[in-house]
Amino acid sequence: MSSAASPGSPSPEAPSNNPSAFLSQITGAKVSVKLNSGVEYRGDLQCVDGYMNIALEQTEEYVEGELKNKYGDVFVRGNNVLYIGVE
Amino acid sequence: MADVTTADQLDDSVVSEPLDLVRLSLSERVFVKLKGDREIRGTLHGYDSHCNLVLSEVEETVYVMDDDSDVLKTIKKQSEMLFVRGDAVVLISPPQRT
Amino acid sequence: MATSQLLPLELVDKCVGSRIWVVMKTDREFSGTLLGFDDFVNMVLSDVTEYDALGNQTHLSKILLNGNNICMLIPGGEPSGENGATEE
Repeated sequence: MSSAASPGSPSPEAPSNNPSAFLSQITGAKVSVKLNSGVEYRGDLQCVDGYMNIALEQTEEYVEGELKNKYGDVFVRGNNVLYIGVE
Repeated sequence: MADVTTADQLDDSVVSEPLDLVRLSLSERVFVKLKGDREIRGTLHGYDSHCNLVLSEVEETVYVMDDDSDVLKTIKKQSEMLFVRGDAVVLISPPQRT
Repeated sequence: MATSQLLPLELVDKCVGSRIWVVMKTDREFSGTLLGFDDFVNMVLSDVTEYDALGNQTHLSKILLNGNNICMLIPGGEPSGENGATEE
């Protein structure tokens, strides 16, 4: 509980319920990242750091549910992130 | 932990943290989305952990709603060299890697 | 007296495993089952419903919610309206 703020290094047998364990569990999976602006990015999660900066691969950009753009790789600055969800 | 760091330093094409994507884009053309409906394309010369950026040969596109006609206007500006403050950055997209 | 204080994060910890209602600083709300959280109150939620400013609902199976923009957490709650689940 006291050392939970390091998403990169969960203990191996930690229950898959705290944020860092969840992140390591979904790394490599297809995720959707919603920003506070409402814009959504769907792609393969490469990694996340402690600021919730996110690297995505094969990314699609959705604005109001409509596909607007595609990017190979995307770096998203963490302060804009509302949530990371599994598809 | 130490092993991971060493491995990454040996293979500098590995993306083990999100900012590695930005590092791999140094001296490449990048697309940057900023707060306030602004977009920038330019050559990335430098960055730091705040996502402050230095770009050259920049084309900036600003999207503004024209008050009178309710039409979305785009304004384009060119700059030779530009500093971008990190807190304005929403996303950075490098060119396609092969 | 002094021993009876309930720390804010203890309240959150008591909610692990049960439904929770999250109100964001912006006009956005979430309800879901709290699976876990960290010191920043970033939260892992499952079986989530997202309510945006217009009242649109979106279902999400499992998310990591950024704690940065959270305003309030309401244990056991559901957003107001027809499905407001008050226990008897």
